[in-house]
Amino acid sequence: MAEAFVAGFLVVLQWKTFSFMLIGIAVGFWVGLLPGIGGLTTLALMLPFIYDMTPVEAFAFLLGMHSVTATTGDITSILFGVPGEGSAAATILDGHAMAKKGEAGRALGAALMSSLVGAIIGAFALAISIPIMRPLVLTFGAPELFMLAVMGISFISSLSGQGGRAMIRGFLGGLLGLLIALVGLDPQAGIERFTFDQLYLWDGVAIVPLIIGLFAMPEIIDLAVRGTSIAGELPQGNLNRGVMEGVKDTFRHFWLTVRCSLAGTFIGIMPGLGGSVAQWIAYGHAAQSARDATERSGFGKGDVRGVLGPGAANNSKEGGSLIPTVAFGIPGSAAMAILLGAFLIQGLRPGLDMLDKHLVLTFSMVWTMVIANVITVAVSLLFLNQLAKLTTVRGTILIPFILFLAFIGAFTEHNHIGDLVSLLLFGGLGYLMVRCSWPRAPLVLGFVLGEIAETNFYISSTRYGLSWLYHPVVLTLMVLTVIFIAYPHLRFYLKQVENEPIA
Amino acid sequence: MKPKLNLHLFLALGVALVASYALYSATDWPFRTALFPKMIAVPLLVLALIEMGLSAFSTEKQREGHAVDFELTANIDPSVGRRRTLAIVGWILSFFILILLIGFPVGVPVFVFSYLKLGGKEKWGLALILTALSWLLMKGLFDRLLHIPFPDGWIQSLFG
Repeated sequence: MAEAFVAGFLVVLQWKTFSFMLIGIAVGFWVGLLPGIGGLTTLALMLPFIYDMTPVEAFAFLLGMHSVTATTGDITSILFGVPGEGSAAATILDGHAMAKKGEAGRALGAALMSSLVGAIIGAFALAISIPIMRPLVLTFGAPELFMLAVMGISFISSLSGQGGRAMIRGFLGGLLGLLIALVGLDPQAGIERFTFDQLYLWDGVAIVPLIIGLFAMPEIIDLAVRGTSIAGELPQGNLNRGVMEGVKDTFRHFWLTVRCSLAGTFIGIMPGLGGSVAQWIAYGHAAQSARDATERSGFGKGDVRGVLGPGAANNSKEGGSLIPTVAFGIPGSAAMAILLGAFLIQGLRPGLDMLDKHLVLTFSMVWTMVIANVITVAVSLLFLNQLAKLTTVRGTILIPFILFLAFIGAFTEHNHIGDLVSLLLFGGLGYLMVRCSWPRAPLVLGFVLGEIAETNFYISSTRYGLSWLYHPVVLTLMVLTVIFIAYPHLRFYLKQVENEPIA
Repeated sequence: MKPKLNLHLFLALGVALVASYALYSATDWPFRTALFPKMIAVPLLVLALIEMGLSAFSTEKQREGHAVDFELTANIDPSVGRRRTLAIVGWILSFFILILLIGFPVGVPVFVFSYLKLGGKEKWGLALILTALSWLLMKGLFDRLLHIPFPDGWIQSLFG
């Protein structure tokens, strides 16, 4: 095993494999940066190029590309408030807020370093967990996935701010997100729900226009209203100093980064939970780590922990989703389904062979993910100061380009004008929500988990009746959900009691 | 006590109407299809009505309702803020209409140039360079390299 681990490292360093990985990284770097090009589509487009490669070269090329898109996707989210990748949207909340405070460098440093930590944890989770993962994945059926979705939804309470009114608004957002997730054909009977007889809505509301609309549009409007650059009138020196500060932030909040990485890995392992879930769960957990109400209210306004959590989870989920793909041929995400195609092209069969006959190849995947992220972060760190300076460019110059990227990014979801209508509708909703202090994160959390919850609920009740409620993992997840909801309130209550003067 | 008409009230009213519509639509569906929509729409309606009541009749405590989210810039004269908001919303809608009329490949450079020149009052040279850059990105990257199938605008379709 140890020999294969070292051999996996050495094969990645062979000049041909390494060159293919570098090409993959270069492609992934730009794909991540530009909102109009999805990492998923690019992965599919690159498949034909691997026919003449050896398996090690092919996976170095594909994984090198795929594992850095999540890292560089954060850069666009932070600088312009438009997610470079759908899975980098949660970084906007605090990352872009930091950019507006003149701390773009710090936010970028934090996002990149936490991404690197996440990628390393995810990759090594893949390395060590393959032998023990089979029983865990097989334990998670529909009831457990349903409870996992419910547990995710419970994070709404952490994302709502403090006070009864804030809770009402948070849950309003979350429920609205859940309702929006139900648009489309009912997965049970194929009956149209809230589609207004539009074929475009049969597949449900597209996530990319929804996220870009909710998050980018209010930022664009605010930028135009301010009439300044993104960073306002702040001196440029602040931008340059921040990068190393952001890197240090990752280590100041190291355990938070590790916890979010582990959460991302776990979500990645579970097939069917989707790539967008990890970042929001991690964001919810980061917000939960606030010690008091004042600290909590700083989230969404430029708290570096709101960048570290999603940044780490985003990258670690890639390692996690490779586990069921490699070990059992069950793709943990859409990207992994495409990667499964690469296995077939290379004449490989995921499963026992990958843990035995092709163990060196499996470990080369682990090393590719680590090395690709190290290179990306090192290269990015060289240019971060220059990138951060984009936040000092006049708003009037940036706005048409940000709008261009937002429109293109939304349109490429289905290549349909309906995507642009969605963008405008959710842009309007996002602006109203911000104006009225309704948090937007619960809406997205409800949206990404709604369909998962409904589908798995029906499968559970059809297959098990009510007996699924007594499954040990379901019961454990129920207890955890109650703890997640109660813990922040309990902590604030205890803190209040502690601070009250003794009579 | 006279109710206060404000944006908070109207947003909550909008959500209440959405929830009511969801409940109304679900009445005709089979049990399984309607279960989740009803389970979600009922609490959504109740909470929206509570939020409406609070928005209309109570004064919000300092910071109580503040979200875990960013806040819009407040240190701008309200009349200037309103004017600029309307202007940018107008530009966004114009961009959408431009795309409908003349399609992405032509609409993007036209929009970029118009915004830079009319909205941003930028100099001719800079406006032209950035417009050319947007055209290059649009044509070179998204159209030629990535082959994103941009539909023709209504005007192009009209003239074949």
